[in-house]
Amino acid sequence: MKLNEFIIPEDLKSAQSALEKLGEKGFAVAGGTSLHFLGIVEKTAVDISHLGLSGIQKQGGAYLIGATTSLGDLMKFKDQGWVLDQVALHTSTQQIRNISTLGGNIVRVFPWNDFPVALLALDATLYIEGVAEKAYSSDDYFNGQPIRLFQPGQLLTRVEVPVLKPGQGFGYHKEVRLHAGFSLMTAAAVITVKSGRIDGIRVAASAGIALPARLTLVEAALGGQAADAASLQQAVANGTAALAWKGKEGMSDEYAAHLGRVVLMDVLSAALLQAQGE
Amino acid sequence: MKNTRHLSFSVNGEAKEFLVAPDEKLLDLLRREGLTGTKHGCGTGSCGSCTVIMDGKTVYSCILYAFQAEGRAIETIEGVGDFDNPHPLQTALVEEGAVQCGFCIPGIVLSAKALLAEIPQPTDAELKVYMDGNLCRCTGYEKIEVALHKVIAAGSCGGAK
Repeated sequence: MKLNEFIIPEDLKSAQSALEKLGEKGFAVAGGTSLHFLGIVEKTAVDISHLGLSGIQKQGGAYLIGATTSLGDLMKFKDQGWVLDQVALHTSTQQIRNISTLGGNIVRVFPWNDFPVALLALDATLYIEGVAEKAYSSDDYFNGQPIRLFQPGQLLTRVEVPVLKPGQGFGYHKEVRLHAGFSLMTAAAVITVKSGRIDGIRVAASAGIALPARLTLVEAALGGQAADAASLQQAVANGTAALAWKGKEGMSDEYAAHLGRVVLMDVLSAALLQAQGE
Repeated sequence: MKNTRHLSFSVNGEAKEFLVAPDEKLLDLLRREGLTGTKHGCGTGSCGSCTVIMDGKTVYSCILYAFQAEGRAIETIEGVGDFDNPHPLQTALVEEGAVQCGFCIPGIVLSAKALLAEIPQPTDAELKVYMDGNLCRCTGYEKIEVALHKVIAAGSCGGAK
């Protein structure tokens, strides 16, 4: 992206006002690392990194994460029900994690982005603020390119992620060729186990499919089933048969489909083990 | 230059004012200011030779717009040590024969310095996580790792800011 001007606003209201005035010509920049993938378009940058939108707070049963919280801070934050450190750890390199922000990873979604998949599995809530604040479920927010939801002057301000409770487990896997490379296949799952049965399941994937999405057929096949490996295997086999897997970087579509099933089994197995307290 | 503006940030502890163009990267600004120890490698935020420390954290200066440094504290390799007064990390890298062409070394020193300021006694896993953004095409990393372990064992820059 080519920047023809930059603005460093004093506060959130000034940033929103500048972005509203600029309309299509404006562009909010926090970490700025994704700008390099956005082609040669002339924009005026509005720096939103100084506006107090960073930080992680635990409030009741949820973590409130400021949109400009760096991935490095997500990685370093530790708490019993916190799992996004696992996602951040596998995102790029330390230099990128130190400057890239959660918002930057989820406002414009590329197929390889790491956090949309995890936030879909975790049933996060995302808050966009303009004149008023509007909350979106992760299902609504990621049902297409999120940027479609933003009017000029509106910004993603925070993300609310439920605290993982006992009886729940989280699994996440990102398949890469090189440690800091873009994902070939990403999947995440949250499983709730009650009385030996799967009482709740959310699973999502990306990179191997066009955009991050929940795999609702896998979820439907697992709901209420016995909490064991056989149930997982059957659900993955049946629930992914109709998915349009897309190979890249030399992978055929068939290879991508196989890789997708393997990665899904890995994340579901990890989530199940954690949910069972192992 | 069109739409240039004066911005202030500190470099190696010294408050400075710069005339910054909107599209200018921090790497280019530092190098035009004579701080050529920060190297231009890939230019895409992949190799780590342009690493600098911003407010205590490493960043790739080749993909960071200069205006993003406004009000912040930047540390480059020139602020770490020199031939007459090397930093313990620089001494260890030389003593262990971990420097061949040397192009990656400023970035490696800065990444290691930021790590040890944050975690004075890192585990091997933490060492890999914090150093994973610096590529070296000469050494195969082994001697670099040995040198870093030497500094960690000596505790000679633990907690250093």
